[in-house]
Amino acid sequence: MALLDKYDNPLTARQAAHLLRRITFGSSQESITQLAGKTTETVVGFLLSKTTAPGPPKDPANKTFHDLPWGYPATEEMEQNKNDAIRCALIKGWWIGQMLQQKSNIIEKMTLFWQNHFVSTATDVSDARFIYGQYQLLRKHALGNFRTFVIDITKDPAMLWYLNGNENVVGKPNENYGRELQELFTIGQGNYDENDVKNAARVLTGWRPVGFRNTASAEVTVEFRALRHDTGNKIFSSHYQNTVIKGRNGTSAGDLELGELVDMILRQDATALFIVRKIYRWFVQAEISPLIENEVIKPLAALFRNDYEIKPVLSQLFNSQHFYDAKLIGSQIKSPLELVIGSLSHFNQNVPDPVKDRGTYDLFTQYLAAKARELQMEVFDQPTVFGWQPYYDTDFYELWINSTTLALRGAYSDAIIKGIPALKININSLDLAKKVSDPSNPIVLVNELTNYLFAFDLTQSQKDYLIDEILIPGLPRYEWGVEWNQYISNQGDILKRNSVKRKIDNMYQYLLRLAEFQMG
Amino acid sequence: MKRRDFLQYATSSFFLPLVLDGYMAKAETNASSTFMKALLELAEINDKILVVVQLNGGNDGLNMVLPLDQYSTYTGNSFRANIAIPENKVLKLNGLPQTGLHPSMTGLQTLFNEGKVSIIHGTGYSNPNFSHFRSSDIWHTAVESDQLSTSGWLGRYLEESYEDFPDAFPNAEFPDPLAVQISSISSTTFNTSGASGALAIKDPDTFARIVGDKPVIDPGTLPDTPAGKYTAYIRQQQTSSVAYAGQLKAASDKGKNLVTYATGNPLAEQLKIVARLISGGLQTKIYYVTLGGFDTHSQQVDATDTTKGEHANLLKYLSDGIKVFMDDLKANGKDDKVAGMTFSEFGRRAISNGSKGTDHGWGSPLLVFGTGVKTQAIGKNPDLKDLDGDNIKIQNDFRQVYASILTDWLGASEATVKSVLFEKSFANLPIFRETVLATEPTSTSLASIYPNPAYDQVVLESEILIPGKDKLTLTDIHGRDFPLQVTYLSNTKILINTFHLSSGKYFVRLKNDAHSIVKPLVILR
Repeated sequence: MALLDKYDNPLTARQAAHLLRRITFGSSQESITQLAGKTTETVVGFLLSKTTAPGPPKDPANKTFHDLPWGYPATEEMEQNKNDAIRCALIKGWWIGQMLQQKSNIIEKMTLFWQNHFVSTATDVSDARFIYGQYQLLRKHALGNFRTFVIDITKDPAMLWYLNGNENVVGKPNENYGRELQELFTIGQGNYDENDVKNAARVLTGWRPVGFRNTASAEVTVEFRALRHDTGNKIFSSHYQNTVIKGRNGTSAGDLELGELVDMILRQDATALFIVRKIYRWFVQAEISPLIENEVIKPLAALFRNDYEIKPVLSQLFNSQHFYDAKLIGSQIKSPLELVIGSLSHFNQNVPDPVKDRGTYDLFTQYLAAKARELQMEVFDQPTVFGWQPYYDTDFYELWINSTTLALRGAYSDAIIKGIPALKININSLDLAKKVSDPSNPIVLVNELTNYLFAFDLTQSQKDYLIDEILIPGLPRYEWGVEWNQYISNQGDILKRNSVKRKIDNMYQYLLRLAEFQMG
Repeated sequence: MKRRDFLQYATSSFFLPLVLDGYMAKAETNASSTFMKALLELAEINDKILVVVQLNGGNDGLNMVLPLDQYSTYTGNSFRANIAIPENKVLKLNGLPQTGLHPSMTGLQTLFNEGKVSIIHGTGYSNPNFSHFRSSDIWHTAVESDQLSTSGWLGRYLEESYEDFPDAFPNAEFPDPLAVQISSISSTTFNTSGASGALAIKDPDTFARIVGDKPVIDPGTLPDTPAGKYTAYIRQQQTSSVAYAGQLKAASDKGKNLVTYATGNPLAEQLKIVARLISGGLQTKIYYVTLGGFDTHSQQVDATDTTKGEHANLLKYLSDGIKVFMDDLKANGKDDKVAGMTFSEFGRRAISNGSKGTDHGWGSPLLVFGTGVKTQAIGKNPDLKDLDGDNIKIQNDFRQVYASILTDWLGASEATVKSVLFEKSFANLPIFRETVLATEPTSTSLASIYPNPAYDQVVLESEILIPGKDKLTLTDIHGRDFPLQVTYLSNTKILINTFHLSSGKYFVRLKNDAHSIVKPLVILR
C-alpha cells in the first residue's frame, strides 16, 4: 500500500488534533470536536479553503500607516526611524494576532512557511511599508503558483533591498540574490555552480525598489532600469543543460530574462524535490528515509513539477495515510510560535479587540511577539537569510530546545496559567474541567484533559502521579469528588471555586512543563 | 619526562611496553582500551580554559589584518580602492612590520605588542563552499567540504575526553557544565552523538530564576518514534538545566568583574559574563560567544571615511571586547588559564564590489589570544598577486588550528585529536610552541640519517638511542609539527616513514633522558 494513498476512515479526535497542530498553531477541545468523525477530504478541503485577506495593520490611533510616506509625520530622521521601528513592531504583533485568530485555516501557517523560505528582515530593510507589502505578497501566493511566486518575490521591493538586488548592475554585479535564489529559494545546494551564480546575477541586473525610506511619497513599487541591465548573453552550466539566456535591451528585457531564468530553474526536477522536502519537514517531520523519499517526496514532487501549483501538493499530503501514521503523531518539537500561540488556543484565549480595547490589544500582541523572539523565532527577523535554523537542514528541530529556551518555555506557560491581568490573559481552567464527561472522578478528569492536551498518551504511572501527587497530594482520591461536587452545588461560593481552580491550575502548570507538552 | 608526554608518546606509533605506576600493561597504541582511556583522561584534564569567538557572516579578513608589504596592490583601483584603509591609519605591530591592524583595533594592537596575540594567516579549507550555513557547518563539524557530520568538533572532544559525556553529566565529580555558550541557541560545534554538549544561557541570574524544578519523570521507556526520541532529548535537557542552574548562580554570585566594561558592545557583554564565571571558579573548560553582522555585501565602510562604518564598528567590538576581557582576567589573576580563538565561516573576496562591500570569499586570518601564545604570526600575508579567481588562497587548514588548541592548550592526546578529526592527522601549528627556525643541529656526529635527501623512508642511526625513552619529532622550517610513523629496526636504528611529507626541508629531533639532537632532512618528490 503506497504511503500517499488516501486515508479513508473518519478522523479520530487524536488525528484531528494532529492535523490542527500541523496546519494551524494548535488545537482546542472545540476545534478538535468540530473535525473529529469527518473524512479527511471534508476536513482538509475546509482547512485549505480560500480566505479573504485581513485589512491592513493600524497604529494605536487606529489609522493605517502603510499608505504614508516613510516615518511620517516626523521630519527629523531620528524620529522617522523611531516611527518606522514602531510600525515594524506593530506589523509583527498584528500578524501574530492573525495567527491566533485564524483557528481553522492553513493560510497563516503557510504564509509563515514562505516568510521563512523567502527571508527578508525588518531590521535590514527598515521600511515598514516594504515589510507589509511583502507580507501581502507572501499571503497572496501562499497556496498559489510557485512560478508566479518566485518571479514576484524576485521583484519584491523588500527582497530587492534585503539581498542587494538594487545594487546589482551591469559591470558591477552583486551576486547575493543570484546565489540565494538558487541555493535557498528554488533548487538547493549541489545543483548549480559558481558560474551559474554569476550568470543569474547578470540576468537580474537593473531592478531596484522605488520609494525606499522616501519621506515625501507613500508610493512603494519597483522599476527596471534598462541602462543598468547586462545585455550580454548568459551561459549556464551543464546543471542547466548549458542553457543560454539571450541578453536583451529595452524595458521588457528584465521581465523576459527573469521569466526564462525561473523557467530554466523550475525545469529541473531538483527544484520540485527541494521545495517538497522543505514542505514535508515543515508539516510532517524531519527524517526523510529512502522509503519516504520514494513514496512521498518523489510523487509529490512529480505532481508539483506539472504546473507548480502549491495547493494540490498540500492537499494530497494531508489526505494521505502517511500523514496519519500513528508513529508520526507528535513527531515534531513545537516551534516557539506553535508553543506560544498553541498554548493560548488550547484554553480558548482570544486576542483583545483591536478597536474597542486597543491598549490591551497592543500589549497582548507585543507580548506574544516578545515571547516568540525570546524563544528565537522572530517573524520578519530571521537571524540569517537561511531562515530559522531548525528548518534549514534535516533533523534540526532540537535546536529550538536548550537550557535557556526550555526554561523560558516553562516560565511562559506558568505565566499564562496564572493569568496576566494587564493583557487580559485570564485562562479559566474550570471551563475545561467542566467539559469532562465526569469531572468529579479524578481518573476520568486526568484522562480526558491530558488526551486533549498532548499529542500522545501519558503512561499510567504518570497519570497516577498527577492525581496522587499533583492534583490532590496526600489525600485519598475520593476527596477530589467531594470537593468538586461542593463547588458545583455552590457555584457562587468564591472560596470553594478558588480551591478547585487552584488545584487544576497547579496541575496544568505541571503538565505544560512536561517534556511531552513540547511535542507537536 | 612529564606524565602526559609519556602517555602521548606511548600512544603514538611506537610499539612498546608501557610501565606506569607499578602496573604493567601492553599498550599497543590502542587508546580505546578502557585502561588506556582512563590513564589518558587522568593526564588530559588540565585547568586550561578555551574561549571561542564566532564572527558570524564571513569576516573581511583583508581589511582586518592589512598587508603593508603589498599596499599598492591592495589599494589599486581594480582591487579595493573603494574600501581600502589608508596606509597611514593602519595600526603597526611590534616585530611584524609587513602586517598591520585595522585602525579600530587598538585593543588587539596592545595585546599583540605584549605578545598575547597570534595571527594565523590564510586559514580555511580546500574546495571552499560559499554558503554561510554550509561553510559554518564545515567549521563547526570539522569535516572536508564534501562531507557531512551531525556532531561538532568540541562536542566530540568532550565526548572523547570525558567518559559517558553528556548522558551521565552532571555528576559528583563534574558538577559544572563542561561547556557554556552565552546565547539562546546552541551551536552545532557542541553537538555530540546525543544531546548538545554545551549549556546555552543568556545570563546566569535569569536562568536560575526561570528554570523551575525538574518535573518528575516517568522512568518508563519511551516509544521508538520521533516523538519518543525528542521527548527523551528534552527530558535530558531539563534534568541537566536544573542541576547546572545552581552551580552557575553560585559562581556568578561569587565571581567579580574587576574592570569596567563599556556598554553597547554586544561581544563585551557576553565576555563579561564569561569573565565573571571564570572568576567565580566555575570549572567549565570551554566558553562560546558570538558576534554577528559580518556579511558586509554593501556599505561596509562609510562613504567619506573608509576607516569608519559597519565593518569598523564590528572590529572595534571584537578588539575592545577581547582587550577588556583579558584585562579583567588579569585583574582576577586568571589570565594564564585562558586562551581564545576567533573564527568566521569564510573570508571575503579580495576584490571589493561596486557597493563599497565585499562578496563571500575564502581564506582569512584567524586570531588566537592569551598569555600562552608563543608564535605571533603563522604563515605570511596573503599574496595579492596570486589569487584563486578573486579569492585569497589558504595557507593553513582550519583543523590544524583545532588540533593545536586541543593538544597544546587543552592537553588532549594525539589519539583523542585524531578521533575528533575523523582519523585524519593535521600538523600542529606553533601557536603555543616556540618556533624552531633553521637552527644549526647540535652534536651532529652522534647520529646519522640516510638517505638524505629522502623519498618515502629514511633511517636514523645512532648509538644514543634508548628504546622506550626516545621522543622523535619532525618539524618543517616554520616550526610546524608533522606526525611521524616510526619502527625500531634495532637498538641503534629507527625507520621513519616520510611518504606523507611534501618536498622541502625538515628537522628531525631526537630527545631522550640523556640527549637532545637535531638533524636536517630534505624530502624530494
